[in-house]
This record gives sequence, structure tokens and C-alpha cells, in this order.
Amino acid sequence: MSESKGMLFAKFGRHRKLRGLICAERERLYRIAWSWCHDSYQADDLAQETIARALAKIDSLREEGRLQVWLTQILANLYRDQFRRVQPETGLESDTLPTLDDPEQNTDRSQLITRTRAAIDRLKDDQRQVLTLVDIAEFSYADTAAILSVPVGTVMSRLSRARARMREILEQQGIGRAEVIALRKPR
Amino acid sequence: MSTNDDLELNAFVDAELSPDQQAEMLESMRSDPELARRACELGQLKAQVRLAYATPPQPRRRSAAKVRGSWQVIAAGFALAVFGLISGWLLHANAPGLSTGGGRFVVLDPDGRGQAAAVAESEETRIVFHLTNPDQTVAGELLDEVEGMLAAYQADGRPLRIEVVGHSEGLDLLRERLSQHGERIHRLAQQYANLTFVACRNTMDRLKVEQGIEVKLIPDAEVIDSGVSHVVKRQQQGWSYIRV
Repeated sequence: MSESKGMLFAKFGRHRKLRGLICAERERLYRIAWSWCHDSYQADDLAQETIARALAKIDSLREEGRLQVWLTQILANLYRDQFRRVQPETGLESDTLPTLDDPEQNTDRSQLITRTRAAIDRLKDDQRQVLTLVDIAEFSYADTAAILSVPVGTVMSRLSRARARMREILEQQGIGRAEVIALRKPR
Repeated sequence: MSTNDDLELNAFVDAELSPDQQAEMLESMRSDPELARRACELGQLKAQVRLAYATPPQPRRRSAAKVRGSWQVIAAGFALAVFGLISGWLLHANAPGLSTGGGRFVVLDPDGRGQAAAVAESEETRIVFHLTNPDQTVAGELLDEVEGMLAAYQADGRPLRIEVVGHSEGLDLLRERLSQHGERIHRLAQQYANLTFVACRNTMDRLKVEQGIEVKLIPDAEVIDSGVSHVVKRQQQGWSYIRV
């Protein structure tokens, strides 16, 4: 009530701009959410709900430059509170990660993608989150720490363990060290 | 597990080191091929992870029936409530006293003529039971009703098709953990090819979003996007509608 007309206009102008910026982040949020849950439907809901919450508490964003961190923080909280993977009762719900025998998956590139996703799927939740925030969303360690509300040291150790584990899994899958780079291996 | 060496190497790959630390690391690599190989491997892994998620699959269903947020669930619930009220009102206004004989269930056909259309001789009778009540006793009575009808029609050689739509709290009948009638449903579904059990996807999604419940259905349930749209469609196709 104490706000002057000018301040109100400024606030509404800022809100309109922010709303646009927030909605433009949807695809990015979806990608992160999908990398966590590997369920397109759930990821879509997570992205949607994140945006809805962000719009509802738009005033709590202090620095516009921190928009992506702020949004991803909301996403991470939402994931932790409501969506953290309960072991699905059936395999029907989460996206079936295609097997290597699937003819449609039979190019080297898509095999590599499939294997990588399957390996990430086998990581522990906290390792997967750190790995995807750093590698896919390209957040700094400090931002990743802020998003997950953990110390930077924890981010570093989880990341190191996640990558070591990834290498183990990929090697078990038969992607030897030499093959990791072979994106277009002739066959 | 992770040595300081590992942490630093990861930080190098993620461009998290200060310029001085970076220079130092590059210097070490020149004299230590194993270190260089590990850094290279980590860099490859990073690129590989990024590649794997460059184009994630998009949500499978984007139909109008898809629930996109809790407000839509509320809207759907509200629409259903209104729908129920209207059905009930129509029923009392236009077709007083009509029932299938069980007393609890009431038939309403699209023209509001009650049972007449449903029991027309020689034509296939098609009935959709819309179950929204969580009470397993009521669900049991519904199954009694359904089984009685199926048996009677079969004995007379009259064609009949029945769908039971589990929607809202009525979905419980089709949930593996909650249904007290799973075996009976299985037996009925085996015995009668003209009987179908249908679960509402919107309800399942709502349970997932609101309560984090991953619904597992009994094996005999088919899934449709929206219970409400489904029963409306059935009515448009001339099915008799019975709300339970």
C-alpha cells in the first residue's frame, strides 16, 4: 500500500520482463528434469510446476542474473520434496531406455547416447544430480552447490565419484577406454 | 574414495581452477602422460554426457486430456462434479424411477429416455459404468450387478458390452494394492470378452503429482487418458451411462 504509483509501474514492468524470461527457461528445465528422472511425463510436470511456482513468487528473485540458478533451485526442491524417484512399481511409467538390439538404435551415435543414459540412470540420485547440473546444465561448482544446498566440497566429491562410477559402468557395458571417443566409428 | 588429485583433475576439466592452478596442472601433464590421459578421459566423458542429453525425448502425450498442472485437475474435478449434478438432475427431471433393478445404480441414456434405448431387442446393449466411489463394498455390488447382467445376457444369447471406468476415487478398484476385487475382476475379464475395465490416466497422474504415488494397476485394467472424456464419448456413441 505504501508503494507509489511509479514504483508499482516499475514493479509491473519488471514482472512482465521476468515472466517472459522464466517461461523461456522451460526447455532447459525440462532437459535437467529429464536427466534426473528419465521420465518425459514426470519431467514435463516438474518443468511446468517449477515455472508455476517461480511465477507465483517472482518477488523473491533478487538478482536477474541469477535467474537460472534460482529456477533450478526451485526445480531441485520440488524434485526432492515430491518427485524423487520412488522405485516405480511397474516399468511402464518411466521411459524405457531402448536396448541395444533395437534396430532403430543401431547407429554408433545413438548406441553411445543410449549407453550413456543407461549409465547415468544407474547412478545414485545425488551423484546423478551433480553430474547433470555440471555437465548438461553447465553450472559452476558454486552454483551447483547453491542449487542443491550443499557445500562446494560435497559437489566436488560427488562429481568425482559420479564420473568414476560412470567409467566403471561404461566399461562393464563394453565401452572400453579406447572406444569412448569413437563417436563415428566405422563399422 | 576421491583423492585430492581426482578432485583437482575434475576441477581442471570443468574449468574451475584458477589460471595459476591451471598452468600448474598443464605443466604436470607435460611430464606425466598418465595424468594427461586421465584428464583427456574425463573430458571425453563430459562431452559424452552432454551429447546424451542434447535432445531428450519429448513428453509422449500432449493431447488436450493431458493434465498439465494441478489447476487442471481441479478444473476436471469441478467439471465432473457439475457433470454429475447435471446427470443427476436430468435423471430426476426426465426419467424418474428408472434403474437397473439393483436400486443403487441409475441408467441415463443420451436422450434422457432412461433404459429404453439400452434394452432395445436385437441391438447390442452397451453400458458404461462410471465408478467414482472408493468404497469397496459399493464396488463389490457393482461387480455383482455386472456379473448378473453378463450372465443373463449370455444365457439369452443377447449381445452386451460393458465398460467399467475407474475414475477419481473409484480408481481404487483397479489399483493393485487397494482393490479387494482383483481376483474377481481377473476371473470376470477372462470369462467375458465383452467386459472391459478402464482406468483414468488423469487420476493416476494426479496421484503422482499430488501425493507422489506411482499407481500400479491390476493387470486387467486398460488405461485411457481421461475418465470424463471417455464416458462423455461413450454417451455420444449411444452407450448407456451409469454413475456409481
